Amino acid sequence: MGSTLILILVVAAGFCFDFTNGFHDTANAMATSIATGALKPKVAVIISACLNFAGAFISISVAATIAKGIVSPKVLVGGDGLELVLAALIGAMTWNLITWYFTIPSSSSHALIGGVIGATIVATASSDVNWHNLVQTVIVPAVLSPFICGGVAALGTYMAYRLIRRLGQKEARTGYRYGQICSASLVSLAHGTNDAQKTMGVISLALIAHGDISAVNFSVPFWVKLGCALSIALGTASGGWRIINTMGNRITNVESPQGFAAESSSAAVILASSYYGYPLSTTQVVSGGVLGAGLGKKVDSVHWNVIGQMVSAWVLTMPGAGILGGVAWAIADLFGAHANAGAIVICALAAAGAFGLWTLAQRNKITPADLDRTNVSVVEEAELSGVPAALAEA
Amino acid sequence: MLILATAYINWSALWKICVAAIIGGAGVVIVFGFLLLGVKIANNAKSGGREWAGYALAGVCGLFCFAVIGAGIYAILNKPVSKKPAKKTAAVLIAPSYKSTS
Repeated sequence: MGSTLILILVVAAGFCFDFTNGFHDTANAMATSIATGALKPKVAVIISACLNFAGAFISISVAATIAKGIVSPKVLVGGDGLELVLAALIGAMTWNLITWYFTIPSSSSHALIGGVIGATIVATASSDVNWHNLVQTVIVPAVLSPFICGGVAALGTYMAYRLIRRLGQKEARTGYRYGQICSASLVSLAHGTNDAQKTMGVISLALIAHGDISAVNFSVPFWVKLGCALSIALGTASGGWRIINTMGNRITNVESPQGFAAESSSAAVILASSYYGYPLSTTQVVSGGVLGAGLGKKVDSVHWNVIGQMVSAWVLTMPGAGILGGVAWAIADLFGAHANAGAIVICALAAAGAFGLWTLAQRNKITPADLDRTNVSVVEEAELSGVPAALAEA
Repeated sequence: MLILATAYINWSALWKICVAAIIGGAGVVIVFGFLLLGVKIANNAKSGGREWAGYALAGVCGLFCFAVIGAGIYAILNKPVSKKPAKKTAAVLIAPSYKSTS
């Protein structure tokens, strides 16, 4: 059993990771609704936060927990389990903050899996990682899902614009704005059910490793559920405006029919795959949906350089978070096995890094006021069909 | 190449996901467009019959959209629990089959 101090650090790191997950992923649900002016930015994130909070409670089972079938169970609940989970969380959290600083939407779930794998490899051996399962349950769905969602969104957008010719610009765009609110809310709810519960799994794992709850017939303690739900909701409510700007304004100039198509397709792909036992990265699915919505209207409306940056970040997420998790483990291990000092040092380093990135981000800050497009009428949206140059380049 | 893909891709689940995505994604967008068209026809109708036809179209399309939202919520509430481990040990967290407290 590990020390109680390390357990407290793991729980705190888990809640912090959930917070970063929330503000990193707000964009998935709400970026297009904000970009088209369907919702005011602050209203959008508050709706999303409430739905994420509710989502953390409504699902009765955890279908997607970290590293399921990827890392040998004996490693995570063994003698070094607490330190390993802490290192993994720090790696994932730091990767989330790095990609947030560079305004790139990347998968928090993949970062967490990468962190666990990296820490496991450094702590034990690569033989404790099931590479076949990693490819089958993580890599393949990650590669296929943006294409599926993109294709569906492109089809929906193409058909929507054909209908708009008969409907008239004003009626169609106003109507699709209302539809967007509904589809974005469904994505938020789905996000809460998937992502908050991953962190619940991590914290419960630490409690088992520490011997606080039984591994047999155990249930997630209520305070863990409440803490995770609150953390992801607070993170979501805090905005993550940098990534919202990328998702809503920099991939393509999103209009309300495109936003509705992107969000509906994303919700359908995420929920269908989750139902059939393939939990996906919400970020990658929604990014694919936004790209498809852009292609469905006009091929050259997509900013391919931004897509290139995003795909690079996706490819690098697991190795990057893995390296950070492995380094965190190695630093903690310098102080000896089960040493409190090592855990404190890696937490302090992570906090310092987070503060440094936050300070740097203040130089090029994006505020809700910059993103608010509710004052753009549907007619103006149709005529201008663009975003302020400053935002597109931010 | 095909053998390699077969080893890693569950084609049975994949086609079901694609069908669900087309119905729930593109289908909803198209049907929602017809809902708006129905409302427009009803609002601009000069005869009672045309007005009712417009509302009927909007109503049917609205029902379809609500049904898809209902299916989405059903999917959230009924996520399949992953395969149960052979023994109930601490590994349940890695391959969860546990009940929630609420």
